[in-house]
Amino acid sequence: MPAAKRVALLAVLALAVALPWLVANPSQLNFAILVLMIAQAGVAWNILGGYAGQVSLGHAAFYGIGAYTSTKLLLAWGLSPWLGMLAGGLVAVAFALAIGWPCFRLKGHYFAMATIAIAEILQIVVTNTDAMGGAVGLQLPFANEGWAGFVFNRSKLPYYYIILALLLVTLSASRLIERSFLGYYFRAIKDEPDAARSVGIDLTRYKLAAIAASSFLTALGGSFYAQKELYIDPGSTLATSLSIKIALVAILGGVGTLSGPVVGAVILTAIEETTRTVFGGTGRGTDLIVYGLLIIVVAVFYPAGVVGGLRDLGRRWRGPGAAREPLPAEGER
Amino acid sequence: MKRFWQSVVLTLLALAVARPALAQEEIRIGVIYPLTGAAASTGLELKNALDLAADLINNGTKGLNLPMTTSGGLPNLKGARIKLIVGDHQGNPQTGATEAERLITQEKVVAIVCCYFSNVTNTASQVAERYGVPFVNPESSSATLTARGFKWFFRTTPHDELFVANFFDFLKDVEKKKGVSVKRIALFNENTLFGTETTKIEEKLAGEQKYPIVEKILYPAKSTQLTSEVQRLKAANPDLIMQSSYLGDAILSMKTYKELGVSPDAILANDAGFNDSEFLKTLGRDAEYVLSREVWALDLAAKNPLIKQVNDLYFERYKTNFNGNSARTFTGLMVLADAINRAGSTKPEAIQKALVETDIPGSKLIMPWKGIKFDATGQNTLGSGIIVQVQDGKYATVWPFDLASKDVIWPMPKWDQRK
Amino acid sequence: MSPSLEILIQTLASGVLIGLIYALVAVGLTMIFGVMDIVNFSHGEFLMLGMYSSFWGFALWRLDPMFTLPFTALLLFALGAAIYHVVIRRIIRAPMLSQIFTTFGLMILFRGLAQFLWKPDFRSIDHSIVEGKVALGWLQFGTPQLVAGAGAIVVTGAVWWFLQRTRVGAALEATAADREAAALMGIDVQRMFALAWGIGAACAGVAGALLSTFFPIFPEVGANFILVAFVTVALGGFGSVAGAFWAGIIVGIVEVLGGFLLGPQYKLALVLALYLLVVLLRPRGLLGRA
Repeated sequence: MPAAKRVALLAVLALAVALPWLVANPSQLNFAILVLMIAQAGVAWNILGGYAGQVSLGHAAFYGIGAYTSTKLLLAWGLSPWLGMLAGGLVAVAFALAIGWPCFRLKGHYFAMATIAIAEILQIVVTNTDAMGGAVGLQLPFANEGWAGFVFNRSKLPYYYIILALLLVTLSASRLIERSFLGYYFRAIKDEPDAARSVGIDLTRYKLAAIAASSFLTALGGSFYAQKELYIDPGSTLATSLSIKIALVAILGGVGTLSGPVVGAVILTAIEETTRTVFGGTGRGTDLIVYGLLIIVVAVFYPAGVVGGLRDLGRRWRGPGAAREPLPAEGER
Repeated sequence: MKRFWQSVVLTLLALAVARPALAQEEIRIGVIYPLTGAAASTGLELKNALDLAADLINNGTKGLNLPMTTSGGLPNLKGARIKLIVGDHQGNPQTGATEAERLITQEKVVAIVCCYFSNVTNTASQVAERYGVPFVNPESSSATLTARGFKWFFRTTPHDELFVANFFDFLKDVEKKKGVSVKRIALFNENTLFGTETTKIEEKLAGEQKYPIVEKILYPAKSTQLTSEVQRLKAANPDLIMQSSYLGDAILSMKTYKELGVSPDAILANDAGFNDSEFLKTLGRDAEYVLSREVWALDLAAKNPLIKQVNDLYFERYKTNFNGNSARTFTGLMVLADAINRAGSTKPEAIQKALVETDIPGSKLIMPWKGIKFDATGQNTLGSGIIVQVQDGKYATVWPFDLASKDVIWPMPKWDQRK
Repeated sequence: MSPSLEILIQTLASGVLIGLIYALVAVGLTMIFGVMDIVNFSHGEFLMLGMYSSFWGFALWRLDPMFTLPFTALLLFALGAAIYHVVIRRIIRAPMLSQIFTTFGLMILFRGLAQFLWKPDFRSIDHSIVEGKVALGWLQFGTPQLVAGAGAIVVTGAVWWFLQRTRVGAALEATAADREAAALMGIDVQRMFALAWGIGAACAGVAGALLSTFFPIFPEVGANFILVAFVTVALGGFGSVAGAFWAGIIVGIVEVLGGFLLGPQYKLALVLALYLLVVLLRPRGLLGRA
């Protein structure tokens, strides 16, 4: 990649690592953690929804599976949350493959609706299953303080670095996939499914690969949520509103781009937090009005997301015939 | 000339240094309630109650036997005024935690009053516990909240185990007094945390006290219709329906009862939607005879005039009466203010110690409780519920019998036999 | 008749009645999708606004919701068309995701506006000419529900008649089938789109007006209906008005009967499972375009 871009990326990384020392108080660090959490989920979603073009509006199912699996294993058998996290990922993959195999023959809106349906059914089932805590939810113990127990009570710093690492892992996985032959097939499936089929690509197999990767990574995020909040219930980890939010950050930022979901996460969380703290206290619903207007404006005027919009701007600024850098690689559009 | 300016500068400096001592301290208290979203109307009611309490404390009011309303501000802190820093948790546990974090670390509140919903209280109080900030919970009834071994969590309201016990104490009393007997109980509860926990306790106590449960229905609160649920209820033919519903489904279920002719001897509701003024307004005569567990009622003023006095102030401002929720929230802030006052300081440990030592007699509360005293888990042990019945379009206290203003009507007339 | 069979048939009948309401909401939703391939996430809010329109007519001027129903329909029609011109027009060619999130933003905006203007308190219409009960043999119905069901049939029928038997309706159908060809034939595609939004919103608004006689009114009420409406549309086939109608009735029956037999907590899960079943075995829904 071009040198300038490499330097910029390193600068962003350095900033991210140094962030906790730059913020004024824990509430801002908490805000940063929230951003990273939803960014990570968005990047994971992007593998399926952005690159492979299979729009899922039920990703909370995977998030919740991650959260509930690691928590239940911890509460029932004392399994370390780190292992539980991996277990959650595997359960999510199994679930994803099971639902993907029949559902991938559905197209467009039908598929999106199916994902909503499946996530909602899962939420209803968990709400009515006592063993999973039901509507009451599951409480995680405070006690196991420390890295082994994945609980940090006094300072949020470890949480910050863990989610940052998780985000970087997810970004790397996403980039790796996107630049590999898988990414090539994903693009074919997204843009020209009929042509792909006609040259003998097994669409379903590659869609399954996409959902497997996407679900695994999303579930990891869910386990992190459980360890951070120390309390999970169906409403907070399996709700359709969460699914929408995960997809929304990718859209705001730009689907099918690597950095899109991260940018979208920053914007969305900033909007949410600002409108709630500035307007929310009045109870007039003003924050909802602002939030809604902002979503509409971005969705209408920046359909390629912010990253897409910036790239267009960059291209136009550089002018025609600017061959100062090599053509973008296959994945970067 | 030089001397003149020197003295001016010195005077200004002196004033600048002296000012902090002269200035009144502001006591920042964080309050977090659902101000947007589905529970927004309740959240706003509770915020109104808090505003009233803060105003009474800060500006005083004549002739009220309520602690700290005689002078402006908190007497032991040189008249320091309470400032409410309001947060909106939108009914979401993570948002509740985020708001608590923000209020504590950015807004520097010295204590928190929160949240109405038990699941939000769960996460928000965890944040307070982590930071060592006093957290007063006036309304959440989930019993598990005081089973966590927290040291900074103080709950003024009784919890569900006590409330459900109230139900069965009431049943025993009514059976004795009226010579009736309850042989078939049906549980009809919504299936979020509130209804689910209530169901568990109801089953446990009914089993212990040998009341047969003939049907148990858990329905989704956001239903568009409750026909199938009520049909099942009707098929079970209960003589008592014990119900936990929020406002929307409380209204819907009552209408469906009438529509399908479901007429048990009594409907005994667990607060929430049944105690909302909108419930009475919407159903009109159809709400008559419904029994509900409450924590507060206007007619209790006969035994405790303070109740009417404060309610009048609330009504003057907001054109509606207190209900169990707003009364409890009002009380919660009062208890906190009392503790801060006794602590004589805004240091968290001092407030915590003062809360632990709280001992407010019932006569100084607007609640029909014996008082406020926290046990080792932070639970107020002197609270209790009452049972009200809708009679002539108003909630009348019917139990405990020594607090009752009207006699309980049991069984209630069937739908087609009502005027 | 044995009591349990009686109860079963009564339950079935109630399911049909609520299903008709679902059908009416779904008809509006499917029309918008059929004509321009956009899923309107804010459709539940049109229903909510219809309810408020009826409520304010009642609260301010004691006008019965049945009386103000035509006015509510016109009001929502105008609103739908206006939304099209101001917002939707700009995202006709945007990717599906952008379209979804535009309407999602509208949903949040409307809920916020409703709370801002009218406060989050529950409202209701306590007196109406359609209050009371009706007994048909041993079956019992609330009069409001019966009227609502009948109203849904009438309006759905009117929309269907409009599409099948009028020139404008034919133009609308043509636009739905192939908008480029329709444009070449001289059809003003923009007007068709606005018309679709108008009719779609009006259908939801009428459903709201019919519901307002017995359902509580509050800013978030749309959330109760939108998911079932989506399922109904998908089940009937995106774009098919007749499909939405029959699907609505089926969904109503499945929800009520399933809730009765299996347990009310699984009501919605059964409806969603039904959708999955139909859509996997017959991907275009009952009557959708292939």
